[in-house]
Amino acid sequence: MSKRTAPERTEVGYRLSRRRFLVTSGALVAAAACTTTPVRAPSGGVTEGTVKLTAWTIGPDAPSYYRRDNLISAAETLNKKLAGKPTVEIDATFESGGQWGDYLQKFTLAAEAKTSPDVILAGHENLAPWVGPSYIVPLDDLIAKYQSEGGIKDVIPTLWSAMKLKGKTYGVPQDTEARPMYYRKDLLAKMGWSKDKIDGLPEAVKKGEWAWPDFVATAKDAIAKGVVGPGKGWYSRPSKGADIYMFYYQNGGEMQDTATAKLVIVKDALLKHFQIHADAVRNDKIMTQSIYGMDAGKEWHPTVTDGKVLFYNAGSWTWKDWQATYKVPEQSLWDNVGFMLIPAAQRGGKPVTVSHPLAYAVTSNAKDKDLAFRLIANATTPELNSRHSVTSAHLAVLTTQKDDPTYKQDKFLLATQYMLDYTKFIPNHAKFGVYDDVLYRFLGAVEQGQSTPAQAVESAVKELQGQLGDELIVK
Amino acid sequence: MARTEAIALPRERQGAAWWRTNATALLFMGPAMVLVLVFFLAPVVITFVMSFTDLATSTGLSNWQWIGSANYERMFRSQFWFTILGNTLVYVAIVLAFNVLVGLGVALLSLHVEPKAGGVFRALWLLPRISPSVVYALMWTWAAASPPFGMLNYIVAPFGLEPRFWLQSDPWLIVILINGFVGASFGMLILTSAIKAIPEDLFRAARVDGANALQIVRRITLPLVKWPILFVLVYQTMSLFASYEYILLTTNGGPGLYGTETWSLWAFHTALANYYGNLDFAYGAAMSAILVLLGLGISIVLLRVFRFGQLVAEPRVEVD
Repeated sequence: MSKRTAPERTEVGYRLSRRRFLVTSGALVAAAACTTTPVRAPSGGVTEGTVKLTAWTIGPDAPSYYRRDNLISAAETLNKKLAGKPTVEIDATFESGGQWGDYLQKFTLAAEAKTSPDVILAGHENLAPWVGPSYIVPLDDLIAKYQSEGGIKDVIPTLWSAMKLKGKTYGVPQDTEARPMYYRKDLLAKMGWSKDKIDGLPEAVKKGEWAWPDFVATAKDAIAKGVVGPGKGWYSRPSKGADIYMFYYQNGGEMQDTATAKLVIVKDALLKHFQIHADAVRNDKIMTQSIYGMDAGKEWHPTVTDGKVLFYNAGSWTWKDWQATYKVPEQSLWDNVGFMLIPAAQRGGKPVTVSHPLAYAVTSNAKDKDLAFRLIANATTPELNSRHSVTSAHLAVLTTQKDDPTYKQDKFLLATQYMLDYTKFIPNHAKFGVYDDVLYRFLGAVEQGQSTPAQAVESAVKELQGQLGDELIVK
Repeated sequence: MARTEAIALPRERQGAAWWRTNATALLFMGPAMVLVLVFFLAPVVITFVMSFTDLATSTGLSNWQWIGSANYERMFRSQFWFTILGNTLVYVAIVLAFNVLVGLGVALLSLHVEPKAGGVFRALWLLPRISPSVVYALMWTWAAASPPFGMLNYIVAPFGLEPRFWLQSDPWLIVILINGFVGASFGMLILTSAIKAIPEDLFRAARVDGANALQIVRRITLPLVKWPILFVLVYQTMSLFASYEYILLTTNGGPGLYGTETWSLWAFHTALANYYGNLDFAYGAAMSAILVLLGLGISIVLLRVFRFGQLVAEPRVEVD
C-alpha cells in the first residue's frame, strides 16, 4: 500500500476564461428570453359586454352541490334581466369532502394576493375575521338597493342577525340547519319500548319531560341488556365543530355578550359540559374513549349507519349524506332512525340545538360588486333554496320556502323545522378560533382522563384569559 | 514583491484589481448567494420582524400594528409551552436514535448478504420515503385505527395484547415509528454508500488476519463511516426540529392537551390552520422565531461537538 500526497491542483485544469464565461452566460440568457412563453390570446376571460364572476363554495358534504349550482342558475336569471348589458359569465367551484380549515386558509391567502373570487360561501362566524382586513364588503346598501331582487326581502329575520358584525351585514344566508340527536328506533324496540313511546320521544324531549338523566339511563340500559356494545350508547361528534357547544348551551352556557360583542365563558356551564362528557366516557361508559379523533368517514358514519349505536348527534344534513355517501335507503332511515332535540339538562328544562347558517359574501376583490350581489340575490329564491334544502337536508332560510311545493314535500325538513325555535348560534368574533381551540383540547383531556372536569375548567379559563385577554368575559 | 506593489496602487485601481481577482468567483457563487439570501436568510428576518406585530387574518396586510413583545409574552403565558418544548426534545431525541441506529443496522445487514437480496431489502426500506407523505400517513392511521379496525390490532392479537386505538393509547409509539422508518431510510442510503466506498482491501486484509464479522464492523467499518454518521445525525436533528407533517396527519398533536404537539406543529396550528379561519400569523411567527433560535443553538453545539471543521476539510492524504 503506497501513500502519496494528493496531486496539486492547478487553476489551469478547470479554469474557464472570464470572457468565455460571460459570452456563454449572455447567450444562455438571450436564448431563455427568446423561449419565454408567448403572450396568451384572451380566452374565456372578460370580453366586451361580458363580466366574468367567480365563486367558491364548499360542502363538505357531497349533496350540498347546489351551493354552486344555484349560483349558475342565478346567472341565467340575471342574464335574462340584464339582456346583454352586460352578460354575466359565472365560474363557480364546489369542494366536496374537503376540510373547512383548508378552504378558509385558501381564501385568506387568495384575498391577500388579490386573487380571491367575487363571491365566497362561508359559515356566518367565518365572516368576522374577514371584516378587519376588508376581504369582504358590507352589503347593507346593496340589500337596500336590490330589496326586490330574488328573495332578499323574504330572508328569515333572525338569520340576518347572524350575518351582522358591528351593525353591518356581511352575508346573505344560504342555508341553515339543526343538529339533532338521532336515535335508533329498532334498538329501543329491542329494549322493550312501545312504538308509541318511541315515536313520542321527540315530543317528550321538546316538552322537557325526557331529559339528559333519562338519556344516560337509557344508554346504560341498552349496554346492560346487550342491545348495543360497550361504549356505543352515544356517539358525539368525533372532531371539531359547532356541535360540542350544544352541551355547553344545554347547561346554561353563553358564548358572546350582546352588548360588547366580547366572548363569554360561564364556568358553571363549562363544568357541567365537561362533566357529562367525562361521565359518558369514563364513569357511565356509554361513549367509547376512542370517540375523540375517530375517523368520521371510515369509522363513525359506518358504525352508526350499521345500527350499532343507540344515540348519536349529527347535523340535519347527514340525513341526506347517509343516503348519498353511505348508501342507506331513505325508507330504512325512516323505519329505524328518529331525531330529536338535545334533551334538556334536567326535566322541565329547555332542550337545545345549534345552527350554523352559511352565507354568500361579496369580496372586496369583486370586479363589479353590484353584479356579484345581484347574482347572490338571484340564487336566494324559494325554488333554488328549496331544491338545495331537499337535496342536502338543510333547513329553509326564506319565509316563503314553507309554501314552496318542493320544500313542502320533504318530510324530513318539515319534521325538523321546529328545531330552529330552540337553536343557538356560535359567536361572530375574530378570535373565536382561539376560544374554540382551547375548549376543544380540554374536552379531549377530560374524555381521556388527563384532567378532571373541575381541573379542566380552572385551567381552561386561565388559558382563555391568557390568550384572549380583555376580549373574554368570565361569568 | 507583487503583493507590495498592489498595496501601493491608488484606491480606484485597488478596487479594479480586487474585482479582476474575484469577479469569476463571485459570478459563480452569485446564484447560490442569492438563493441563500432570498430563501434562507430573508424568511428568518421576516419571521422575526413579523413576530413583533399583530398580523392575522383579522388584520390582513393592511391593518396590522407593531405590538412589541406581546406575542412572546402571550406564548409564555400559555400553560403548555413547557409541555410542548418537552415533547419536541423527546420527539427529536428518540426519532433521531431510531433513524441512525436502524439506518446503520439496515445498511450493515444488507451489505452482508448476497448483493441482489441486499438491494431488494434496501429498496423495500425506501418505500416509506418514496411514498407520498399523505398516503404513507393515511396507511398508518388506518393500521392504527380503533378496534375492531386496525391492522396493528390483528398483528398483536396472537400475543395476547388487548386491541386498542393506538393513536390514542400509544400516540408517541406511532409518531416515532412513522417518522423513524422514513428517517431510517435516509440514514441507510447515506451509510450504505459510505460503507461501499471503503476500499475492499481493508476487509480482505482483516479477514486474512482472522477478524470475524463483528470485529470488522467495530474496527474497520464504524471508524471509517464516522463522518457520514455524524452528517446523518446533524442533518436529521435539524430536519426533525422543523418537521411536523406526519404528526399533523396522524395524531394532529393530540390526544387531549397537546399530547404529541411539537413546537413546529404548534406554530403551524397557530399560523396556518385555524378551524374557524382566523390565522394568527404573527403569533405563529413568534413561535417559529423561538424554533429558529433553538435550532441555531443546537446546530452550534453539534458543530462544535462533532468538529464540523474537520468534517468538511479537504483530505491531506489520499489512500490509493
